[in-house]
Amino acid sequence: MGQSLDFEFIHENKCKRAVLLFHGMTGSPFEMKKMGRALYDADFDVFCYCLPGHGTSPINIKTVRWEDWYSDSTMHYRELTQKYDEVFLGGLCMGAVLALTIASEYREVKGIISLSTTLFLDGWTIPWYNFFMPLGLHTILRYYYSFPEREPYGLKNEALRKKIAALQKRNTEALDNYPMSCIYELLKLSRFAQKNMFKVKAPVLLMHAKEDDLTSTKGSVFVYKNVSSSIRKYIELEDSYHLVVMDNERDFVFNTSIEFLNSLSAYAPISNKKPVFMESEDILNAR
Amino acid sequence: MHVDVSQVLKIISLLPLSLKFIIVSNILLILGFIIGKLALYKNENAVKFYAYFSVVICVLFTLYFISIIWFSISNLFAGNAVYSAIFPIFLFLPFIIGHFASYEKVHFYTNIQILTLIVSLLLALSFI
Repeated sequence: MGQSLDFEFIHENKCKRAVLLFHGMTGSPFEMKKMGRALYDADFDVFCYCLPGHGTSPINIKTVRWEDWYSDSTMHYRELTQKYDEVFLGGLCMGAVLALTIASEYREVKGIISLSTTLFLDGWTIPWYNFFMPLGLHTILRYYYSFPEREPYGLKNEALRKKIAALQKRNTEALDNYPMSCIYELLKLSRFAQKNMFKVKAPVLLMHAKEDDLTSTKGSVFVYKNVSSSIRKYIELEDSYHLVVMDNERDFVFNTSIEFLNSLSAYAPISNKKPVFMESEDILNAR
Repeated sequence: MHVDVSQVLKIISLLPLSLKFIIVSNILLILGFIIGKLALYKNENAVKFYAYFSVVICVLFTLYFISIIWFSISNLFAGNAVYSAIFPIFLFLPFIIGHFASYEKVHFYTNIQILTLIVSLLLALSFI
């Protein structure tokens, strides 16, 4: 089941640049498909694979560790570097953390699109009894407890919300809950990523919804402030929640990502070559 | 066998409050884990229900930890150094078990957790 959700958008004429996308925690490549299509239309070959434990039954996700996600993602990245001159990484939620972690180890990553970077679980839909989380995470309870997924399912767009709610009931394209063991592994990955963030030298574009329901902008701000990249840009979205690749501002997200990647690529069409982004201090200083 | 209820109540009333808390939270935790393991957690679809059930277990764990700390400190001042030294071990055991646990062996580790709770209950009762 997991493999059928994977997608590879490859041009017939040999393309020299590729984007490897990573989906979010308890999600699947399904959520990245529209972004993949947009990048493909902009002359990138695009790849997105189901992370271990995802896209099958809810039980499988409880058996994986963050090292499985990381080694699987790294394997796909290394495969692409054999075939392409330029490999960019992009990710949503946990996928963004994975992209940043890979970039901290592999200096030749050409650029990163980091969307709704989930380093902390502090969004406004996290349940009121969240203060018990450490107790649940570090005891046997993490294999029993799951955060029930609730409205708005990461979407501000109400029409889309209904569709996603229906998909989540099938528990394949996305789960209707966040198993605590999965959150435990995500937080371990997050700690590893935070520790190594200074090693990231690749250009980074960060986009995060101001009203993200799962994780506040704190995570993206942390990345912005701690990466060593000389080229970095942070954008706050006004009309989206967590799933920025599906929500109201998805076209803006796609276009900005394409513009950013083209600005870094040696194979970009001349008309698309624009000066690279530099700073986002105005947003951060306003805090 | 005749049990003198008034005698039992008298003994209970003489117990330190912290010990009463340890015994009560211990019994409730053991029951909670057994009920959870045997009945509730088998239903993978009742996410919301067992989310709240897990919160109840967390509350009991918190009560259990607080009463252990309370009991250990009060025993230290009362000169019962042995109890002060032994009981804090039970503070760390749930976390040690949690560290080694995996989904594949979750039932085994749940049994270990229940077993440690029973041992701490017996230890608390031995104080009587």
